[in-house]
Amino acid sequence: MLCYQCEQTDRTGTVPGCAGPLGNCGKDAETSDLQDLLLYAVKGIAQYATRARAMGAADDEAAEFVLYSVFTTLTNVNFNPTRFVGLLHEAAAVRDRVRERYEDRVRARAAQPVEPEPLPGPAAWIPAQDLEGLVEQASSARVDAGLAEAGADVVGLRALHLYALKGICAYAYHAHVLGHGSGEVFAGVEEALAYLADEPDDTEELLARAVGLGRLNLKVMELLDAANTGTYGAQQPTTVRATQVAGKAILVSGHDLRDLAALLEQTEDMGINVYTHGELLPAHAYPLLKEYPHLVGNYGGAWQDQQREFAAFPGPVLMTSNCIIEPHVSYRRRIFTAGPVGWPGVRHLTGRDFSPVIRAAKALPGFAEDGPEEFLTVGFGRDAVLARADRVTDAVKQGAIRHFFLVGGCDGPTPGRDYYADFALGAPEDTVILTLGCAKYRFNRHDFGEIGGLPRLMDVGQCNDAFSAIKIATALADAFDCDINELPLTLALSWTEQKAVAVLLSLLALGIRNIHLGPTVPAFLTPTAVGVLVERFGLRTVGDPGADRAAALERAAS
Amino acid sequence: MTGATTGVTLTASDGERLEFGCAPGQSVLDAAAEAGAALPASCRRGTCGSCRAAVTGGPYEHGSCSPQALPPDRRERGEVLLCRTFPGGDRLEAALPYPSSRIIHGGVPEREGVITALETVARETVRLELRVEPDDAAGDGCQFDPGQFMDLRVPGQDYTRAYSLANTGNWEGCLEFFVRLRPGGLFSGWLRDGARVGDRLTVRGPQGAFGLRETGPRPRWFVAGGTGLAPLLSMVRHMAEWQEPQPARLFLGVNEEAEVFGLPELKAVACELPGFSYEICVRRPGPSWPGPPATPVDRVAALLPDAPVPPDLYVCGPPPLVEAVAGAAAAGGLAPERVHHERFLPT
Repeated sequence: MLCYQCEQTDRTGTVPGCAGPLGNCGKDAETSDLQDLLLYAVKGIAQYATRARAMGAADDEAAEFVLYSVFTTLTNVNFNPTRFVGLLHEAAAVRDRVRERYEDRVRARAAQPVEPEPLPGPAAWIPAQDLEGLVEQASSARVDAGLAEAGADVVGLRALHLYALKGICAYAYHAHVLGHGSGEVFAGVEEALAYLADEPDDTEELLARAVGLGRLNLKVMELLDAANTGTYGAQQPTTVRATQVAGKAILVSGHDLRDLAALLEQTEDMGINVYTHGELLPAHAYPLLKEYPHLVGNYGGAWQDQQREFAAFPGPVLMTSNCIIEPHVSYRRRIFTAGPVGWPGVRHLTGRDFSPVIRAAKALPGFAEDGPEEFLTVGFGRDAVLARADRVTDAVKQGAIRHFFLVGGCDGPTPGRDYYADFALGAPEDTVILTLGCAKYRFNRHDFGEIGGLPRLMDVGQCNDAFSAIKIATALADAFDCDINELPLTLALSWTEQKAVAVLLSLLALGIRNIHLGPTVPAFLTPTAVGVLVERFGLRTVGDPGADRAAALERAAS
Repeated sequence: MTGATTGVTLTASDGERLEFGCAPGQSVLDAAAEAGAALPASCRRGTCGSCRAAVTGGPYEHGSCSPQALPPDRRERGEVLLCRTFPGGDRLEAALPYPSSRIIHGGVPEREGVITALETVARETVRLELRVEPDDAAGDGCQFDPGQFMDLRVPGQDYTRAYSLANTGNWEGCLEFFVRLRPGGLFSGWLRDGARVGDRLTVRGPQGAFGLRETGPRPRWFVAGGTGLAPLLSMVRHMAEWQEPQPARLFLGVNEEAEVFGLPELKAVACELPGFSYEICVRRPGPSWPGPPATPVDRVAALLPDAPVPPDLYVCGPPPLVEAVAGAAAAGGLAPERVHHERFLPT
């Protein structure tokens, strides 16, 4: 096992990365190895898929399989080795199907009888029949494969591609389940995976193409934004109860709005209250979700606190998409997974049939009494903010708003994340804080007050809503007739997993400079690669929050 | 033996560690219970084998125990019954063959239940169904892992008997058991002569370490002797309910066809679980039985050499059956760690 894809990776050894029997995320070595092999396998699919698509024989079902498979390998998504064995054999079958489509097209187009050359590398992989054999095969598919020949810089940049692709596939999968697939995105993902299958070793090309992945992710996030708002309406500023209500209860965590919507439909008029957890908090702002009266509130905080919070919740928990950590025995029998997420010994539900969750909710005690009334405000997606654009620009021009800070991203258990709370809570009264992702839980219960009738804290949404933040920034730049970098705007980004890597590349692709990234720089990038990102893109690491904030205000003033 | 408390460290199969002190003359099992951790165990007197572990460090003395519960060769390899293990030095370390989720902290849950069904399903075998009453923490449901058991106690009596659950964890509070009516059996005698639908019982649990192991897509074979079918039925029902992908086959062994039971339940599983098959092996069949005389041991011995992938083997039944199947598995080249078993001992 070698895994250094997330922020919490082991950095205590001479080489960064989790390499023991168990990663810091809780993923065991066997599962990690199988995930490496699955990524190798989907590269093989992509090798044929790019060629087939170029010849008009695209297989979008195969592309959907790739999205799903890559998503399962994200941090805190799927920990079930049996599931990965199944996916590996399925990957080989999908690859063979795509290969046949490609070869049939080659034969059909040739003037003379021709036998297409089989492709090498991952495209030629044949899965071992049993678990042990697959784990053995994985030894040549490690993320640091080729280190001796290509060097650490190249291997790190390949990892940057792979991890950005994980984020892209996750976002694209979310859009896909809402019926927003895209041939252009499928093609982009296939091309990027096929590129990695060729073991690229040109650092300049890898850097340039990494920025290209950022552009691809922008398209994906736009697609997801359209999927979310097209399906459930544009986010509206909404107050959300942040405490319990007496009655039977279900807690829904993760990111998947479609799963939440299905559960709300299935629990209608049953007297069961549904609560959001973690990254599903922004769901309360979507008109077609908040119209369900039994979507009563938000419970708990960010993902890393789930073991304590789920244990205390008196009903079942539904974990959609990512952000699961090892379920404690106290709630292991009442937590359910859906979609790409999974944990051995935890009941996985398919087909959005949540009847086992509902049965559990009816049987479990629920909350005996109401908690004290406490509320959060969410719903400042691009439509809500831009509907107030005139007030915002006036406030800036009149000096009421001096600066905007976008403080957001993923929260996590590692040290150094108090930075973001300190950064936000210490922001001067004449500044506005935009936030997204679960990092906001570190400060979103604080009353930041208002500026000219505008809340000083505006929650843009999930990490999945980064596109919304980008649209807000570009619209403000248009309003002020300036470049985004000339806006009184500073980004302080907290990262944990690979969706943040994709978002970072998108921001770099847009030319946004002076992003404060933390709490640490990715372990998979060498100091040389980090130096290039700092030099070319003005990327900054986080330091002292007060000093960083002051420096940002000073830059804006100069 | 020293006169000071021994520091005991038990490591569960998921790597979780349990540390506690063990006083002189105290068994590891009792010391763990005193520290608030109920380890899987049943008889607590060296006869059932359900508190097996493997000592990995430190001296100890092992009290007498049934060779069926802990065969001598296993004992020589460092395996112990924790109810019979008495540390003899400063430290004792042992590996537990089950995950930490099987250790109960804060006492074994106890609930009241009502008999909702009691029916004879084969000669000297009854199906007992209970509905437990709602509980502050668990609500209406009763959740457990397939393979676990409950201690059952008749109200007003001070004895309990352990029976494996045959159904799966559920939110309706339903518990299902198959009980062999043994001559002179304390609990089974009451079932035969006194129990009626509507009677109340006390249930303690779920308990026990026997259960499915996550080893990827490896086939699972289940071998049951008589009412040893109960925990294995729970396992295959769980596989069907969760749509687990491993191919599964089950062998149920009985002596005579009048003892055959569980067919409707097994047929239902076969309808719901792709890749599942079962065989009924009757050692002394009568003329109406459609098959030849057979035992699960014979079937495992015959089929194992041709198995394309060595299966995980789950065995439950009387000790002679368990030992015979383990022997057949070893002869067929199956590694000992692939064989998981629970012995039924007459009580």
